[in-house]
Amino acid sequence: MSDLKYVGTDSTRIDGLEKITGAATFVDDIDFGPNLLRAEIVESPHAHARIVSIDTSAAEDVPGVVRVVTGKDFPYRFGLYMKDRYIFAQDRVRFVGEQVAAVVARDPKVAKRAAKLVHVEYEELPPIFDPMEAIEGASCLIHPECERVPWFFPEADTNIAHCRKTRKGDVEAGFTEADVVLEDTYRVPRYAHCAIEPHVIVGQQDHSGRLTLWSASQSPHTQRNLFAESLAPLGLTHKDIRVITPYVGGGFGGKAGVTMEIIGAALATAVRGHPVKLRWTREQEFYNTYQRQGLVANLKIGAKSDGTITAIEHALYWDAGAYVEYGANVVNAVGLSATGPYRIPNVKIDSYCIYTNLPPGGPYRGFGYSEFHFGLESHMTRLAGMLGMDAVEFRKKNAIREGDTLAYGAEMNPSGLVEAIDKAAAAIEWGRPEEPLVPGNVVGKGFALMWKAPAMPPNAASAAFLKFNEDGSLNIAVSGMEIGQGYLTAMAQIAAEVLTVPVEKIRVETPDTDRNPYEWQNVGSHVTWGCGNAVKLAAEEAREKIFALVRRAHNACEKEDMLYLEDEKVKCRDNLEFELPLRDFVISGIQMEDGTFRGGPIMGTGMFMPEFTSALSDPETSQGGHPNVHYTVGAAGIVLEIDPATGKMRVRKTALAVDVGKAINPDLVNAQIVGGMVQGLATVLYEDMRFDDKGRMLNPNFTDYKIPTAMDVPDEIVPIIVEVPQPDGPFGARGVGEHTMIPAAPMVANAVEDALGLRITEMPVTAERVALAAQRLRESPS
Amino acid sequence: MPIAHEFDYVKPASLEEAVAILAERPGAQVLAGGTDLVGWLRDEFVEPSVLVDIKGLDGLHGIEFADGILSIGSLTTFTELIESETVRSHAPLLYEMGRTVASTGIRNRATVVGNICSAVPCCDAGPVLLVYDAIVHATGIAGARTIPIREWFVGNKRTVLPPDEIVTGVTIRLPMCGHGAAYVKLGRYRGEDLAQASVAVVSLPGNAYRIAFGAVAATPVRAQRIEAVLEGRELDQSAVDAAKGLVPEETSPITDVRASQEYRELMLPIMLERGLRAAVARRDGEGPEYGTRFI
Amino acid sequence: MKTTITLNVNGEEREVDVEPSDTLLDVLRAKIGVKSPKVGCERGDCGSCTVLLDGKSVRSCLVLAIEADGQGVITVEGLARDGANELQEAFVETNAFQCGFCAPGTVLSVSELLAKNPSPTVEEIKESISGNLCRCTGYEPIVEAVLTLTGKGTK
Repeated sequence: MSDLKYVGTDSTRIDGLEKITGAATFVDDIDFGPNLLRAEIVESPHAHARIVSIDTSAAEDVPGVVRVVTGKDFPYRFGLYMKDRYIFAQDRVRFVGEQVAAVVARDPKVAKRAAKLVHVEYEELPPIFDPMEAIEGASCLIHPECERVPWFFPEADTNIAHCRKTRKGDVEAGFTEADVVLEDTYRVPRYAHCAIEPHVIVGQQDHSGRLTLWSASQSPHTQRNLFAESLAPLGLTHKDIRVITPYVGGGFGGKAGVTMEIIGAALATAVRGHPVKLRWTREQEFYNTYQRQGLVANLKIGAKSDGTITAIEHALYWDAGAYVEYGANVVNAVGLSATGPYRIPNVKIDSYCIYTNLPPGGPYRGFGYSEFHFGLESHMTRLAGMLGMDAVEFRKKNAIREGDTLAYGAEMNPSGLVEAIDKAAAAIEWGRPEEPLVPGNVVGKGFALMWKAPAMPPNAASAAFLKFNEDGSLNIAVSGMEIGQGYLTAMAQIAAEVLTVPVEKIRVETPDTDRNPYEWQNVGSHVTWGCGNAVKLAAEEAREKIFALVRRAHNACEKEDMLYLEDEKVKCRDNLEFELPLRDFVISGIQMEDGTFRGGPIMGTGMFMPEFTSALSDPETSQGGHPNVHYTVGAAGIVLEIDPATGKMRVRKTALAVDVGKAINPDLVNAQIVGGMVQGLATVLYEDMRFDDKGRMLNPNFTDYKIPTAMDVPDEIVPIIVEVPQPDGPFGARGVGEHTMIPAAPMVANAVEDALGLRITEMPVTAERVALAAQRLRESPS
Repeated sequence: MPIAHEFDYVKPASLEEAVAILAERPGAQVLAGGTDLVGWLRDEFVEPSVLVDIKGLDGLHGIEFADGILSIGSLTTFTELIESETVRSHAPLLYEMGRTVASTGIRNRATVVGNICSAVPCCDAGPVLLVYDAIVHATGIAGARTIPIREWFVGNKRTVLPPDEIVTGVTIRLPMCGHGAAYVKLGRYRGEDLAQASVAVVSLPGNAYRIAFGAVAATPVRAQRIEAVLEGRELDQSAVDAAKGLVPEETSPITDVRASQEYRELMLPIMLERGLRAAVARRDGEGPEYGTRFI
Repeated sequence: MKTTITLNVNGEEREVDVEPSDTLLDVLRAKIGVKSPKVGCERGDCGSCTVLLDGKSVRSCLVLAIEADGQGVITVEGLARDGANELQEAFVETNAFQCGFCAPGTVLSVSELLAKNPSPTVEEIKESISGNLCRCTGYEPIVEAVLTLTGKGTK
């Protein structure tokens, strides 16, 4: 492994020049000519209501309006894991902003004016916003039963869409054995992804019936699949549907699965022959895509006086929103992993997916792990305090190790968790008191661990196709998405390593489901691992074809295993004279003495699917399956300076150590750490979604949903890469994208406690919340 | 989302022409920097019949200081304000305030006068112009007149200006030699934000004080009772405490999406104290340089 | 009421018919064909529509096209006419972008800063881009890119 030439180096991003010169094309940048139509959505003003009638006649009469459609035109459901969502609302609306109708017009201004003329009569129904209220009674059944994957367990006649139960050992015995037991409730609000590029889709069904979508998506193949499923009654099959995804301006989970894109697909079928564009406004981006789900977590952990954790009981109540087709799997993933990266013999986890009349929940960078880590890692520091132990030592003592039995019975993968703990603690000089930079301020340090596994169906697959060009350069077609992480570059480095072709000579193509091979979705921090394996296999297949051809055409090196590649040439171990540049034959073949040729264009394909995973297990305990491929683990620390009067916090330093198995491109891993940490800190320091008592979002804009600016980032972020190889990863790599934001929230809460002696159990931990808590503590210390 | 409302656009060459259009065309509205107005058009919060772009008018540009009076033309942007040496040397509080407004791409376009014409309760220019006792100059077909800034704001997004008048500028009389001042703005973070609350303080030789608050009432408000209790007093702890004690009488903060009433009430006395101390220190030739943040 | 206006876009005179309600952003993208200014929030918060208007950065979503009649517009396409300029190369070198959506606006904001102040401090750099929201990078590499260019960087 030590003689790697391309993998493990800081290759320059292959998409760099395009992105920095304005050349990179995003969906909204594509020109569709004068026939392009624009759509405007008529939205529900109510959180819960019956649709009594819809009158579209006034809108249809507006000059320039081409078509007005409602739920009657598309009475179809869709969904990734549970088919509970509608293209347009049918008889009921279930959240404020839900799409009820659409106006398609020649001009966006006309569409906007006409949409206001669609008259919808509603009969309001009582809404339900609080998951604890929703779970209490069966008074408000937000949803009927519907088709779903086999590992979801809805509870009949309730608002519980799914409950994941995990049981290991005997928790009661574990708590009896404990010398200290801490129980508390933690609350996490909803959050927004805030990719700067809004969702946009352009759909066109031509007169032959072909449906093409240009989509700002993390999931082109899954989109095609869901479009085909949902629109099957119109006679559309997978072959008829093509999804093209150019560069995507940020995803963070928000562009996974299918949300508004289904509307664009449906509208295209309603205005055949015309391309029709639907671009979400920033407001819609907040209230009608996936939101990160809210959480109320009741957590109880027991430990012996020597610091050994004996039991955990974790009940998680998720505000999953009006439709849970994707969000239910967030709930499921957490239900399996809510122990965190600890060896705990007795485990009881209940993770409830609860319907509410708020916008649909769904995937968000971290997939539920950020949410439960807030409580879990707050708890770990508090328990250490109760035991009189150092919070880092306590974590180290209980940290999970390779081969440990996970809560659901499978084995823990190789892990550099202890190394990560030591390095993160050293980076922030854990235990050393700091002087404030401003007199009167106080300084605290906080620490947190994290882990996360990709949450995917057990058969989520990746594929890659690679072809040589005349000059020995390469084109690689894959269907993961370049959403900023540098995926294209990482794939190029993997192919470069196998084929010895420099990264600058490799072009990696963004997806087109007609031409690029399959990828399930670009989610779960799995593409470097899954698609990386596929690319490696494709490159190896091409290499074997090269070797077979050379053996066939040349007598020089006939023995097996004697050929190898170096510097874009085929060489032979037992014939040092022999060298054949790739460019001489990878397209045109090798000429024989008689003038004939052998070979032809060299291509390679690779397919990868984890063949050891299974989602089938005992519904009461989760024992028996192998739902996760591996966990990526890490540790983070923070030095936080606080003005106790105003609550204002300044992150002086934060360090995050992540075990990535093998950094394909260390610079890009560091970029994930820095960017993810800032996003994580934003969720704890600044952001949260606010709703009024009618379920209307109060801050659907950047004026009042405060994502950080350049002036609101830590003074210093120290990225630390740990590399304990993942045996089934490409060159040992495992994923890192989501993990980097997970430890941020609890480590801030822990640092606030360290500095001020007060514990905040509800996110976000804003200056306002800190100042008010500090004031209360001053008024009534105890 | 496009601007779906249709309107006309005119760019008059003279002030007379501009006020004539405002008088003749019901629903006419003045356009200067447009950073508020264009957003309001998109949201259909305003639906003008015609926009009268005053950026072509002579005489509304620029910052001048003559005869003890600082004049700020109504087309003066926040960038021009911040970059003006005249402002920094004569009315540094305007500089300090301007540095907290939005960010460069907005400051290059947004005007100081537009800020008080939009008259949102959290406008940054409001409290500062209040403590400088600014005079607003307006012109209509009946001619020019002046309006003391204290009479300017009448409610949330409402001023005394009738729709047929144009603000040509604001002036500040500056026999303020040796004054010290401070603008303390509470935002959710250091980057671009609207004020959760703000305090402007001027400290004059002879221990006179002028104080105004923003974002804690329907309009920016001058705190006359606090000024009175401090009048003539050295800023010792008892003076500070007396001033802080009167904050609830001068302000009526509410809970909104930006902050709770409780947090605003907790912060205002702290902000006032920091503002007073900085203003006095600056008056005395000490204190942090203008542009420093106090929170 | 259509009006013909003239814009000098990246050095080329362009005549275009606009409605008073057309924003500069929409006209640049849909009628001029310059795509680097992006539609991000349409209320001046995100900065992805930043262009230089007569040399000053503005939010093109908050400017009516008709207001800009006779003025000059620069976008990153204009900076990169002969290949990426030094600043753009520095951005590539330090990975000062990820998804790339905000990068054109950010590059323009930094260009404006450097035109006024060739050797900015870290605080000045941060302030200059504080109106350009980036959800990917955490901003640190953007600051690093500028410092690299001005010779103060660590890379």
